[in-house]
Amino acid sequence: MSRLRRFLRDNAVPLALLSPAVLVILLVVLLPLLFSLYTSFSNYRLIRPESLWDVVWFRNYLRVLGDGDFWAALGRTVLFLTLVLNLEMLLGLGLALMVNRLTFGQRTMRTIMMFPMMFSPILVGFQFKYMFNDTIGVVNNALQSLGLTSHAIPFLVDRWLAFASIAIAEIWMSTSIFAILILAGLFAMPRDPVEAARVDGCTNWQVFRHITLPFLMPFIYIAMTIRSLDVARAYDIVDVMTGGGPAGRTELLWTLIARTAYDDSRMGQANAMAYVSILLSIFFTWYFFRKLMAARKHLGVF
Amino acid sequence: MAKTRTSLAAALAASTLLAAPLQAQDYGTFDGYTLRVKLIGGAQYEPLYTLIPEWEKATGAKVEILSRKSHFELDREMKQDIAAGNIGYCVFSSHTNFAPQYNAMNQPLNDLIPAEVVAEFSPLVIQHATVDGQLMSLPRHSDVSNMYYVKSLYEDADNKAKFKERFGYDLTPPETWDQASDQAIFFANPPDRYGTHFAGKDEAITGRFYEMLVADGGKLLNDDFTAAFNSPEGVMALNWFVNLYREKAVPAGTTNYVWDDLGLGFAAGAVAYDLDWAGWAAFFNGKDSKVAGNVGVALAPKGAGGKRTGWSGSHSFSITQSCDNKEAAASLIMFLTSHDAQMMEARSGLLPTRTKVWDEVTAEFEAKGDTFMVEVFKVFGESMREHAFTPPLIPEWGEISNALWPQLQAAILGDKTAEEALNEAAEEVNQIMTDAGYN
Amino acid sequence: MSRRQKDILIWIGTFLVMLVICMPGLWVVLSAFRPNGEILTKPAVWIPRDLSWDNFRAIFGFGDAVVAIPVGSYFLNSLIISVTSTVVAVVIGMSGGYAFARYRFPGKGAAFLWLMLSRCVPGIALSLPLFIMWSWTGLIDTKLGVIIVYTAINVPFTVWLTEGFFRQVPRDLSEAAQIDGCTPWQAFWKVEFPLAKSGIASAAIFAFLTSWNEYALASQLTRSTDSKTLPVGLMDFTAQFTIDWAGMSAMAVIIIIPALVLTFLVQKHLIAGLTFGGVKG
Repeated sequence: MSRLRRFLRDNAVPLALLSPAVLVILLVVLLPLLFSLYTSFSNYRLIRPESLWDVVWFRNYLRVLGDGDFWAALGRTVLFLTLVLNLEMLLGLGLALMVNRLTFGQRTMRTIMMFPMMFSPILVGFQFKYMFNDTIGVVNNALQSLGLTSHAIPFLVDRWLAFASIAIAEIWMSTSIFAILILAGLFAMPRDPVEAARVDGCTNWQVFRHITLPFLMPFIYIAMTIRSLDVARAYDIVDVMTGGGPAGRTELLWTLIARTAYDDSRMGQANAMAYVSILLSIFFTWYFFRKLMAARKHLGVF
Repeated sequence: MAKTRTSLAAALAASTLLAAPLQAQDYGTFDGYTLRVKLIGGAQYEPLYTLIPEWEKATGAKVEILSRKSHFELDREMKQDIAAGNIGYCVFSSHTNFAPQYNAMNQPLNDLIPAEVVAEFSPLVIQHATVDGQLMSLPRHSDVSNMYYVKSLYEDADNKAKFKERFGYDLTPPETWDQASDQAIFFANPPDRYGTHFAGKDEAITGRFYEMLVADGGKLLNDDFTAAFNSPEGVMALNWFVNLYREKAVPAGTTNYVWDDLGLGFAAGAVAYDLDWAGWAAFFNGKDSKVAGNVGVALAPKGAGGKRTGWSGSHSFSITQSCDNKEAAASLIMFLTSHDAQMMEARSGLLPTRTKVWDEVTAEFEAKGDTFMVEVFKVFGESMREHAFTPPLIPEWGEISNALWPQLQAAILGDKTAEEALNEAAEEVNQIMTDAGYN
Repeated sequence: MSRRQKDILIWIGTFLVMLVICMPGLWVVLSAFRPNGEILTKPAVWIPRDLSWDNFRAIFGFGDAVVAIPVGSYFLNSLIISVTSTVVAVVIGMSGGYAFARYRFPGKGAAFLWLMLSRCVPGIALSLPLFIMWSWTGLIDTKLGVIIVYTAINVPFTVWLTEGFFRQVPRDLSEAAQIDGCTPWQAFWKVEFPLAKSGIASAAIFAFLTSWNEYALASQLTRSTDSKTLPVGLMDFTAQFTIDWAGMSAMAVIIIIPALVLTFLVQKHLIAGLTFGGVKG
């Protein structure tokens, strides 16, 4: 007891400064998670409130782990995350390098670049759903008007096209975040090493590879970390565009959870899946955060 | 487009209201009471609510609408309310096929609605709203689907000759689903026109599969509530959809379609025939439709079992158990399903649940010389009287549907055979029923 | 080619790329001024024939629409919720960031990591337990209920961004100010805070955008015009059988404009702020 008291006394100021942040997170994140952890061990079904007390121990987890659809959705989610995060990073890097080279009108261009960031994920979903519609969608209309295809392409039905469509929507929405963070990195970059390298006769590529890129790495990891923090926002997009269908071809963990929870009202099982998805998010975030810390230490500039 | 249509309906209703005020029926007096309600929203549903001020005036009560949302969102909200025990309202919009889900909050109406009022409703519809001998909700209007087809395609002499040559029988609006299948393949000319289309996801495709299953002589569940749809009849029913998709007689995107896509597609002349509900009739024949004046209506065809498809259900009103003034609540739902209120909804093509309204609205259309709507009400009337049936009225219908439709899609898209898909769905359905405590 | 010409070419090239990127968004903006019949049709109408403000008039309840969408109250709700939760999150986050940057205490590294990880719980996993807890406490369908949730969501990132800046501010500065007779609070406010301004500005804009556009949680926690936000209100356009894409686009424009204006105003700080203290803004 006295050890705790001493800890409190010695660290009173930082603890006091931190306490509001910790409190609000306890209330909004930790408490609900404890509640849902309990329900994941129960046969809780929304329409039968008394089933909250029907404890089934590990049944939900065993079922989830033995369910082929779940593993397929998990695999698809990991593939989706890997694909979109990497593509967003590359595209964002390209955009940032381009904007950084501008000598005038940069402020306007930066605002234009951030345009997709203004869009609510749910809106992005609707927008791409209509654009990719197989009969009246603007993409199909354009392809047919240009004579590139004579038949309607079922973008949201075909196995790979549907997956590509949701990935494109997600990439469209989030590339700007990478671009803006990497651009911040470029702005923060000291000029001297670059100029020195040029004087020594390095090519543009060599400068980029050996000076710019290493300096940008922490910013890239920061962007990766930030994006993996809220990557589950893709749920809104996918839910609107395809709802995980057809035949589960675009099913991600989050759409599977939402349907099990609300449409099937099988809360217990949904929460068991939700815990797996939380672990997945934590893994991605932790991975990039570690990389970030390592890169920071390596550079020693931060 | 739907908005324009509604405003027309509302304008029509408003003018009728002025001409003939509501019958002076006694709805009781509840001075100063505020009745809290949650109602289904959307273009087809809202015009009815413009009558509520009349009820307020007659009874002295106020109505506070807490939510006005689409059926699916309202359904979600209701389940959450049950989960949280957060039911501070009296009346809610329900649907006969989903009503069993709300058993935990739903007040049986047998003692609240006088028997003579109930007797004025169509017996079959009242039966659909009754669970275990208890009337759970008061039906407002019904859904059932029948055939709309493009007349000129069927009357074209060239089409007739070619069809006869290819299939060996005359081209007429289909009497069986086998004929319908032939015709869909015959008329398909993608991407400009398809034979037909169907709603391909959510409860919509489950319902279509279910009615085909019943029409083919199959069953969804056995008497012990285990899955019965993975039967030869089930495979036959599912293969009807699989076949049309494989033959490209339906749009490739049909697995993502829901009701609005179907209605808009038929009105755009994109398909030869469309199995759809009566609510679209006026729109199909109206100024925004490319097939206006060219629309035929026929009863839904028969399946292999000799039975017509007729998946049906009714939008309805229910009262909560926790309601503190059930008499006021009963008064409002009787008002909203009264003769005059139903006349108003029927004029826009919604199918009434009161026997007398069927005859009167048909007479009204005849007097106006609207032969198309007369035909619509004749066909849908026969369908509602003779052929309509509901899914099993159990709370698990929604869950069963969610287990089924991704598998139906998988078969339609060719990822699995019909047998595989149905067997996998059956396994899942059996688990659902076990968890729910049926066996 | 002169340097100037090359610069112009680069600018034009960049502009074209940006145009392609913005195209899907611009399509929405254009749709907001066109009737449904012209947007969703085949064959496509490429050149707009019928541009008007009708969709905006309709959603504000002018014209012949039976069901007006209460855009006004949604807008107000969104504004109150986003601004309040942003301000509170920034204050709380700043205080946390300062604690991490300025003090040593046991378990600091782990505490920081866990604070970050709390942000990565998917909204969908939080929504149901939160819904039930909020129902029990009466926070359901209130602006306060949503504000509390958004605050918690935005705190971790704010802590992270501001921490970087406070770490860059030399400790001596505050101490020197206190020797000169400032109270610790004055020293913070006058000396340290201005140096971290950029970080705070970009934390604020990120928090605002997150709250302004959030849907998954708000769709569960709000129900009526008392608390429904703009993204949730978008769903009003999807009735059971019909979707009014033109009306939705009009509302989309209403959602985008405030975010766009705000971002344009603070964008200089935004970029400087995102350096995480790597360079002084």
